[in-house]
Amino acid sequence: MIMKLPSLSNLTLCSALALTGFGCATSGVKNPSGTPVTEMKADERGFVAGTGIESQDMLAVTEKMARGILSIPQIAHAATPPRIALEPVKNETRFPINKDIFLTRIRVQLYSKAAGRVVFLDREQMQALERERELKRTGQVTASSDPSVQEFKGADFLLTGKLQGMTTKAAAGTSDYVLYTFRLTDNRTSEIVWEDQAEIKKQGLEDAVYR
Amino acid sequence: MALLFAAGGCATDNPKAAAQRTERDKLMWDYRKAATAMRQGNFDEARALLDDAVTTLNAVRTADSGTRKARSLFGREEQKTFLGEPYERVMAFYYRGILYWMQGEPDNARACYRSAAVIDGDPEKKYGSDYVLLDYLDGYVTAKLGGDGSEAHARAEKNSAQKPLPPYDKSANVVVFGEFGRGPTKFAAGRYGEQLKFLPGNSIIHSVRVTVEGQQLALKPLDDLYFQATTRGGRVMDHILGNKAVFKSTTDAAGNAAIIAGSALIAGGSGSRGAADEVGLGLLLAGLVSKVASSAATPEADTRQWYNLPQYLTFTALRMPPGPHTGTVEFLNATGQVVPNLNKQLNFTVYPDRDTVIFFSDQNQ
Repeated sequence: MIMKLPSLSNLTLCSALALTGFGCATSGVKNPSGTPVTEMKADERGFVAGTGIESQDMLAVTEKMARGILSIPQIAHAATPPRIALEPVKNETRFPINKDIFLTRIRVQLYSKAAGRVVFLDREQMQALERERELKRTGQVTASSDPSVQEFKGADFLLTGKLQGMTTKAAAGTSDYVLYTFRLTDNRTSEIVWEDQAEIKKQGLEDAVYR
Repeated sequence: MALLFAAGGCATDNPKAAAQRTERDKLMWDYRKAATAMRQGNFDEARALLDDAVTTLNAVRTADSGTRKARSLFGREEQKTFLGEPYERVMAFYYRGILYWMQGEPDNARACYRSAAVIDGDPEKKYGSDYVLLDYLDGYVTAKLGGDGSEAHARAEKNSAQKPLPPYDKSANVVVFGEFGRGPTKFAAGRYGEQLKFLPGNSIIHSVRVTVEGQQLALKPLDDLYFQATTRGGRVMDHILGNKAVFKSTTDAAGNAAIIAGSALIAGGSGSRGAADEVGLGLLLAGLVSKVASSAATPEADTRQWYNLPQYLTFTALRMPPGPHTGTVEFLNATGQVVPNLNKQLNFTVYPDRDTVIFFSDQNQ
């Protein structure tokens, strides 16, 4: 009788294989149709989240900075709208970012809220603007004013920003603190006329299968 | 046998299962394609693939159906979405960092090296990051941007087999990233394949000579991916797989014992349908159930991998005047002889206002 055991064992194994095999073909696939596109507000935390810099952080930070800039006397009470040039944000965090997006949003926020109280200089387009001016100067295209006159404006203020981070990784998870600082410098005097900061801390722990 | 064919066919014949597999392996294919694109100079393609990878890696991935299956006794580890082991995730950031530097964004490149260092560290096992290049490049970018990179340089030197590491040349405007050899290979070891192990990489190349218009630079390996893959300590997942293996082994042994005991009782009862026969039948059934459970338990380690990683990474920086330049890369064996047919020609333009980044590999794919 004992000699027959291997065949019993094989039978069991075959049954198990059959069960697992059929289980694979017939078991219901969880969420087989996927997740439909969900439109979210940019300041909402989505269901895909990390401890890094996300859209809701950018919105909170840029709105705070735009409000701060508008409230300073040099802007609020300026006789003529001050001209501001933007410098790329310096990223010292561990998160690669699109650095232009912060300043773009601050600029758009200021334009939409300042009602003409500030003017930004489009330094990003300098090459294209110079090319266009050269075409006008050489008569290849028409000009509505004398193209030989220097009309490119100099900036009264320089807006710069810096992102710095601190990471802690422990058994309980990963924690990331990001400090956002922006400042407005008077180009003529080098005085910092405004500076503000925002700080955001996030932490999370991955599923055990990834640890 | 028919049942086995049915079982074997389900992964490919079931479109839902195939779609799930495609989705959970996506990052693995992105990684592989990105490495190939880097080596073929298709940097835009590599950038798109690695952006996708870095975005995925930066998310904190909590429980989903894939991770639950991977953790369960009857699910396979490979049912989780592939992110790669830490040495693979690090390389996604490493390559993306090179591309950021190439785009004139060294601070974003540094961000990638810093994220990679966080991935490499494991506080549960008290391991800090020990990649030489991640620290060296972090400090180098910091120094170039006007900061103090000395602390990162010291960390890099502490972990480096090549001592001393070159001091940071802040005026260097050409940075050269090189790689050679084939990286480690994953395999499943242990009675049930529950242990994730690595075969060493292999490389007949031991160093590189870069010659650019009279400047000759000898580059030795600064990081070894086999070392990185094998020195980070065990994973939490290893404990889970170990528990699955114990379950499989225990239920198998219990099943055997119950079947033997049950069969013996039935044989002893001589078919009289007495109590011994009933107990024997009960034991036999319990044994069968236990064997089925044992067979269904799946402790195999996930051996999906970024198979076209290099074994060694190296780096140097040099000063060049702006404009077009040419150079050569020669790969040298253990005795310092040039390995034929691997030489690379360098044609590059040095920018007047930002660093020029050169990347080379002895691999074509």
